[in-house]
Amino acid sequence: MEKEYKISNGNKPVSLLCLVAGVVLFVTALVMDFMGTGNTLRGAFLVLGAVGIFFGLFLLPTEKHHRRIINVIFLFPLLFAFAVTVIIPLVLGIGYSFTDWDGIRMTKIVGFENYAKMFTQPSFIWSILITFLFVVFNMILVNLVAFLLALLCTSKIKGLGFFRAAYFLPNLIGGIVLGYIWQFIFSNVVTKWTAALFNSQYSMLSDTPTAFIAIIIVYVWQYAGYIMLIYITGLNTVPGEVLEAAAIDGATPLQTLFNIKIPMIAPTVTICTFLTLTSAFKMFDVNLSLTNGTGSVADFLGSYLTNGTEMLALNIYSTAVVENKYSFGEAKAVLFFIILAIVSIIQVRITSSKEVEL
Amino acid sequence: MKKKVFSLLMAGVMAFSLAACGGSSSTESTDSADSSTTESTESSESSDSGSTASGSVRLLNGKPEIDSQLQELAAKYKEETGGEVTIETIGGDTNASDELKKMYQADNMPDIFVIEANQAATWDGMLADLSGEAWTNDTDYELVDKSMGTIGFPYTVEATALAYNADLLEKAGIDPATLTSPDAWNKACETLDSKKDELGITAVFGWCAEPANLGWSSGTHVFGQYLDAGLKLDDTTYIDMLNDGGKIDEARMKKFAEFIGMMNKYSDPALLVDGTYDNQVAGFASGKYVFVTQGNWINGGVTGASDYSGFKMGFAPYAFDDGFDTIIAGPPSYWTVYSKGNVDGAKTFLQWVSDDSAQDILVNKAGLISPFSDCQYAAADPFYASIKSYMDAGKTSGWHTMLKKDGLQNETCQVFADYAKGTIATADDFVSTIKKVIESYYAN
Repeated sequence: MEKEYKISNGNKPVSLLCLVAGVVLFVTALVMDFMGTGNTLRGAFLVLGAVGIFFGLFLLPTEKHHRRIINVIFLFPLLFAFAVTVIIPLVLGIGYSFTDWDGIRMTKIVGFENYAKMFTQPSFIWSILITFLFVVFNMILVNLVAFLLALLCTSKIKGLGFFRAAYFLPNLIGGIVLGYIWQFIFSNVVTKWTAALFNSQYSMLSDTPTAFIAIIIVYVWQYAGYIMLIYITGLNTVPGEVLEAAAIDGATPLQTLFNIKIPMIAPTVTICTFLTLTSAFKMFDVNLSLTNGTGSVADFLGSYLTNGTEMLALNIYSTAVVENKYSFGEAKAVLFFIILAIVSIIQVRITSSKEVEL
Repeated sequence: MKKKVFSLLMAGVMAFSLAACGGSSSTESTDSADSSTTESTESSESSDSGSTASGSVRLLNGKPEIDSQLQELAAKYKEETGGEVTIETIGGDTNASDELKKMYQADNMPDIFVIEANQAATWDGMLADLSGEAWTNDTDYELVDKSMGTIGFPYTVEATALAYNADLLEKAGIDPATLTSPDAWNKACETLDSKKDELGITAVFGWCAEPANLGWSSGTHVFGQYLDAGLKLDDTTYIDMLNDGGKIDEARMKKFAEFIGMMNKYSDPALLVDGTYDNQVAGFASGKYVFVTQGNWINGGVTGASDYSGFKMGFAPYAFDDGFDTIIAGPPSYWTVYSKGNVDGAKTFLQWVSDDSAQDILVNKAGLISPFSDCQYAAADPFYASIKSYMDAGKTSGWHTMLKKDGLQNETCQVFADYAKGTIATADDFVSTIKKVIESYYAN
């Protein structure tokens, strides 16, 4: 160690040179950028400047901060990517939600106007309501179906590998594609059955309640296979000797299931519940391609709604992009973020307390 | 020591690769910004001569179906004048205006881009005034804004009304020229409906009010007939009312609703609520429907269908009141010039596009209808004769439906779908519902 520091110490002039040159190049590049000069060397300056700064920092002859500097340099790629893709957009988004930004420019700060407005919009309140309804239905149905499939796939039937792959496969198809495939199925195949059974001439997708059911069916079909895999892993961790002991004591399969298997995979259930919860909240692609939010509600808070199956994420998208109200969409997105943040915090609390118990 | 050198190397590589990632895009934009600025200065010197290189121009096209023809156009431009034009196409489900906003934020704007008329206001102050260009004298269809001047170059004319199968109408003994009143329409529908088997048709209308994928058809085009049918090209009475807080003329809307009700009644129920654009066009091509609620853009789909019998086609007006005899015709979207881009290069290019050799490609190869009166090419479009007859007689109405508030079509299309399905039972209910929907949309 001592030797290495000496090497660093010996490079003080180089280090300082690199640092100064790096900062100068970096700042020059940024200034050129802001001034809008068309100098093509700008990009090279920026890169060289950044390299120079890192190099200088690395060679900086300090024993006290050496470790910290190294840590920062190695963490930098991750921090940089995280900041560019998550932190900066989040901050900008919150900022934009207080303005009248239309995607091109903003003229004034409007304060909380966007936030106040969204709660007077019946279509948005409807979107919140059906999103919650969708989340509840999905949480129950996906977990139920996935758990049953997992039981099936951990039993001793033939062709287990095939079944596991087959149930998991829908999850590998993109949501948009899947939505269009199911749209075709619903409006062509299923309509023939519903026509015969309920004497309804039109497809499930043309009525709000049935279209809502259709979205749930597709989503369960898509997502259950993924959750199934987690349940399979959970079920496989149940020790064989416990099951064997239960069998020797004469427990029926049902007793084994309810008294041994389910209690032993309780942490898995918690994880799966929250996974389905957050993913159902964020559901967007199937919604977009299957119904595009259409469906009418004759009277909701005194309005005739035309977005019967539009969930929160899609509502945000169409507010911003289709209706061209970017700042209003941002405000809705911030609310969406708050809802999801609360759910995630609860999730972390619950799972970590479970871990302590274990 | 070795370890040290290695780790140093790694850190360097990491920092470099990242900085390169971060830097490369800016380098690129620098390049393009640089070249466009230098070239625009170049072109301002040389734009008079026209034939010399006038700098590279980027055009953002919103019609993917004519992408290859536009590439050909660019090649021809280079061959004739030496000017560079790059065509970038955005299409399918991607919204060009949304993409443009990203380009604007990234400081990567094309010099010429496509907009719909109601988007002009969002670009206020960034569109170059094209008035005084020679081509403006040859067309009635340029986009003129009161404060911004002439901002839109019309690259095509599209028409929409009730497209008909002329052969079937002839067989049934109906002259489409007489379909100018609700009574005439009702009578014609009854006749056609009674001769269904004889004519081999499934239904009189191929009208599809499915909202999720065809909302643009009902919500924009069919709704546009309420705004414009029977009016002069520049009559903005009903669009002005609509944009004044979402007001509608109830009497006119009622008549319109009754007409739509008639269409619902004589439509193919399999298509009406759950159909798709493909089914609609294919049904028309195979002679299953006499009328279809689309515009001349279906021509390729119809003539390209394997069971297309070669019938003649044309447009009949949405005559929901007596004496309505116009079809909606005009440019549905325009090419505009970005004022901070290569304006002179763009102007030179647009002037060239309005001239003979470019029109040859656009009309004969891309199948567009020319908005320019000095264009000598007759479009290959099977609807062309019909559209031309309306245009010559001055019986075209405007595309004012493109001026409604952004996204309104997504609301109104649902009302059309409910009316088609029967959830909204009468024309009066249709009027009161659509009134409510439009008002609340404008209020928000």
